[in-house]
Amino acid sequence: MVALLKVEEISFGYTAAPVFEQVSLGISPGQVLCLLGPNGSGKTTLLDCILGWLKPRAGRIMLDGADITDIPARQIARHVAYVPQIHEKTFPYLVKDIVLMGRASYLGPFAAPSEEDMAISAQALDKVGMSSFKERPYTQLSGGEGQLVMVARALAQQTPLIIMDEPTAHLDYHHELIILETIVKLIRDQGLSVLMATHNPNHAFYLQKNGVDTLVAMMKNQHIINLGGVEEVLSEYKLGELYEIVARIVDCVPDDGGILHQVVPVSTITRS
Amino acid sequence: MSTTKRTSLILSFILAPFLVILLSLSVGRYPVDAWTIIQVIWCKLTLQPCPVDEIYQTVVWDIRLPRAILGAVVGGCLAISGASFQGLFRNPLVNAGLLGVSSGAGFGASLAIIMFDNVLMTYLLAFGFGMLAVVLSYLIARVYKATPTIMLVLGGVIVSSVFSALISLLKYLADPADQLPAIVFWLMGSLAHARFSDIMMAGVPMLIGISGLLLLRWRINVLSMGDREAHSLGINTTINKGIVIACASLATAGAVCVSGIIGWVGLVIPHIGRMLVGNDNKVLIPVSLSLGAVFLVIVDDVSRTLTGAEIPLGILTALIGGPFFVYLLKKTKGGGW
Repeated sequence: MVALLKVEEISFGYTAAPVFEQVSLGISPGQVLCLLGPNGSGKTTLLDCILGWLKPRAGRIMLDGADITDIPARQIARHVAYVPQIHEKTFPYLVKDIVLMGRASYLGPFAAPSEEDMAISAQALDKVGMSSFKERPYTQLSGGEGQLVMVARALAQQTPLIIMDEPTAHLDYHHELIILETIVKLIRDQGLSVLMATHNPNHAFYLQKNGVDTLVAMMKNQHIINLGGVEEVLSEYKLGELYEIVARIVDCVPDDGGILHQVVPVSTITRS
Repeated sequence: MSTTKRTSLILSFILAPFLVILLSLSVGRYPVDAWTIIQVIWCKLTLQPCPVDEIYQTVVWDIRLPRAILGAVVGGCLAISGASFQGLFRNPLVNAGLLGVSSGAGFGASLAIIMFDNVLMTYLLAFGFGMLAVVLSYLIARVYKATPTIMLVLGGVIVSSVFSALISLLKYLADPADQLPAIVFWLMGSLAHARFSDIMMAGVPMLIGISGLLLLRWRINVLSMGDREAHSLGINTTINKGIVIACASLATAGAVCVSGIIGWVGLVIPHIGRMLVGNDNKVLIPVSLSLGAVFLVIVDDVSRTLTGAEIPLGILTALIGGPFFVYLLKKTKGGGW
C-alpha cells in the first residue's frame, strides 16, 4: 500500500541555522499522527513544508506517491486540508461562505461555487454539528465554534488527509472533547487520516482508547527523537525528556470500561 | 432570500446606473425636458436627422451624456478596485490608491500640465505614471523573495509618499498664473472635460480591469483568508494576487487619468455595499461597481448644478457621502462588524 503521506529526511531553515534536519515520518489511511514537541521545536514549520507552503532545503515529501514539489497548489489542496492554529478573522463572512472556500481547489480560476459545492459544504458543516450556525457571521462565534467551522472547511476540501495545528489550543474541556470526538468520528466513518501538532499527549491516549490507529512523534532539537505507537512512545521517561519535566502516567477507568491513560506533569527539572 | 426577491435585487443593481445616467441628462443649468432628451437619444442612436434644436442636441448628446457615462464608469472603477483591495489586503481601511496609483497619476498629470499643456499628454502621463507607481510598489515588495501583503503595503506607502513629494515639487516649480491652478484643480478631480473620445480611450483599461475583477470575485474571498490559508485551499497566491492587483490598478489608473483624483469612493462605497449585502465578494464586488457608478453620477450632477462654478468632485464626494454613510450605519447597525 502506498502511504498517504511520506516525509523522507527533510531539512528546513529560514537562515543558515536549521529549524529541523533529517525529519522522516509517514501516515497511512485511517491513521492519526500526533506531533509533540516543546514550543519552538519546529512543529508548525514542519506542517508548512508538508502543505507545500515552505520548501525544504533537502529531502522530499511524497503525497500519494507524488513529490509535492512537482504538483501545483490546487493538487496539494485536494490531498491535504489544513486547520490553522490561529485564524485571523478580518471580514465578518457568514459561516457558510467560510466553509464554501474549502471548494476552491475544485473550481476554475473564474468560477464561483456551484449548487453541488454548496451541498458539499452544507454536509461538511453538518458533520461537525454546526449547521444551525450557517447564516451567522463567523466573527461572532466563540473559539470552539470557530475551530469547528475551520474543520468543516477542511472537510469540504474532501481530502484523505487533514493537517491540524494545535486544534484545541485555547479551548475549554467541553470544546476540546467536541473536537476530539469529531476527529474520532471522521476517522471511523470516513477513513480519513489526521496529522496534528499538539501540546497535549493526552490527545494521543484519548484517540488510542477510542479505537483510532494512533502514532506519536516527538520533535526536539531539530530532530524527531521518537516515533511509534502510543504505548511505546508515551512513557514517563520519554515525556520527561521531551519537555524537561517530571511526568507521571496515571490510569483512569471511564464508565464505558477500558483504561484511559493520562499524563500528569508534576514538576520541571532544574538542571544543576 | 426568495428567488424572486433575489432576482429583482440583482436587476435593480444592474439597472440603477443606467437609470441615473438617463435622469442626469435632464439635470443642469440649461433645462431640457424629458421628451426632448428621448428624441435626441433616439435620433442619435438611429442616425436619423433630429427635429430638435441644435443646442439641445449638443447639451444632451455631446456634453451631458459622455459626462454621465464617464462618471458612472469612473465611480464604478474606483469602488470595485477599492473593494478588491480591501479583500486582498485583508484590511477594511484601504482604497484603490494603496499601491500608489493615485499619487503616481497625479505626478504624471502635473508633469504633463507643466511640460506639454495638452489634454492627451495629461491622460497618457497620468495613466503611465499611475501604473509605474504600482509596478514600483510591487518590485519593492519582491525584494523580500515572495510578495507578502505587509511588504506590498509598505512599498505602496513609500512609493505614494515619493510621488506626493514630487507633486509638491512640481507645484513649487509651476507657473502660479496658469499651471499651478490647473494642477490643483486636476488633483481635486473633475469630469468637466469629458468627451466620447475620453470614454473610448480610458474605457479600455477600465473595462479590462472591471472584467477581471468581476471574474475573479469569488477568489478574492479565498485570498482574504491570508496567504498561507489561501495556499492550503489550493490557490497560487503569487499569481492570483498579481492578477487582482493588475486589474484593480488598470481600472483605477484608467479612471484617475481622465477624472483626476477623486477620494472617498474607493474607501467608503465598498463599506456601504458591505452594509447592504454582506461581505461575500461574489456579491459585494458587483454591488460596489453599481453603487460607485450611481454615487459618482449623482455627485457630479450636484457638482455642476449647485453653483455657477463647478465644485471639484473630490470635495463633494466626502461632503455628500459622509452623512449618507452615517445614516446607513445607523440604519443597518453596521452589518456584522
